[in-house]
Amino acid sequence: MGGNPIQFDYTVPATVLSFLLLVWLLSKYAWKPLMKMMEERRTNIESMLKQAEDERQQADKIKREYQEEMRKARQEAQEVIAKATKVSEVRSAEILAAAHEESEKIKKSALVDIERERDRAISDVKAQVADLSVLVAEKIIKQKLDIKGQGKLIEQFIQEVGEMQ
Amino acid sequence: MIKEVHETVLWHLGSMTFHGKTLIMTWISMALVMIFVFAGVRNLTSGKPGKMQNVLEWIIDFVRGIINDNMEYEKGRPLLSYLVTLFMFVFFSNMLGLIPNFTFNLLHDVHFAQLGHIFSGPSMMSPTADINTTLSLALLTIILVVFLGIKHKGAHYFHHFVEPNPVFVVIHAIDLIAKPMTLAFRLFGNIFAGEILLGVILMLPGIWVLPGILPTTIWLAFSIFIGAIQSYVFVVLTTAYVSQAVTSDAH
Repeated sequence: MGGNPIQFDYTVPATVLSFLLLVWLLSKYAWKPLMKMMEERRTNIESMLKQAEDERQQADKIKREYQEEMRKARQEAQEVIAKATKVSEVRSAEILAAAHEESEKIKKSALVDIERERDRAISDVKAQVADLSVLVAEKIIKQKLDIKGQGKLIEQFIQEVGEMQ
Repeated sequence: MIKEVHETVLWHLGSMTFHGKTLIMTWISMALVMIFVFAGVRNLTSGKPGKMQNVLEWIIDFVRGIINDNMEYEKGRPLLSYLVTLFMFVFFSNMLGLIPNFTFNLLHDVHFAQLGHIFSGPSMMSPTADINTTLSLALLTIILVVFLGIKHKGAHYFHHFVEPNPVFVVIHAIDLIAKPMTLAFRLFGNIFAGEILLGVILMLPGIWVLPGILPTTIWLAFSIFIGAIQSYVFVVLTTAYVSQAVTSDAH
């Protein structure tokens, strides 16, 4: 055939047919299913991304709700504590006032008691002094009444007893 | 004188002749492509892909990228299957010529379909080292171009042959014919030249065989590179020609 490598013959149609057969076989049994799979994976990933985004948003929402609830609970607790503090202050003031009053009352009655005791003691003393002076007077009168000149002394004595009352 | 590296084996069918070696190698390439692809799609899953499926998906994405760069993807999508197959077939074909002949002359005495002649020589042959194969692929490209042009633009497609003046129809006709011709000859030339040089290195006489290992290795590596580049170029140009035909002219 010589050295010329460029010769055309019926190899061309044979190759064309063979190649078209290859294209048909591969596209029917390989490329179509493969591309379908790739497309499927693409949509899968897309939906997964969407789902993930949805879940993230939901989580965000839940987080916000929790934070809100937390804030509310804290506020409530603050209020409760404030109220309790106020109540206890009022109560302690009341207790203090009552105690004060009570002590005042006790003091007053004690003073009254003391006064009364003192009055009684004084009146007792007075009575005794009176008795004693009567006794003394009796004795003096018995002993020295007859003695003249003593009249002035007796008089003074009696006066002094009277002043003591 | 450098003899032709691959002896042309002719099959006769009636008055028709076929390049037997080219056809056998074409079918081997196709078989390899199919084995490779079907190994990849055996366990298809939309979840976590296996290694082979991953490779195939990478190839599809690669070709899809080429289409995307050249035209609106919706117009090019029907081409995807064809272009991926073309890419893989041309690549496997280019690689086939680099594989040593592992038949060890066992088929030497087989006369059926001249298999003994076909499987002789130091290495296999790239089907793309025969102008018939590359011309077939280029013809398919140009048929696609015209077909898709008519499909997307109707009769208006032929309008561009007489732009800007009916005289230019000659130039446009040459353009239309030159496109597949350059495609065919570019691929053929690259691969054929590569195989010739590989054959020449392998034909080094006895004492040079061991020193010849280094240039062989280098040339094989370079041929792999060339083969990959050429399959890429073929697909890119096919896409470019189609996109010229289907996108509405700006002028």
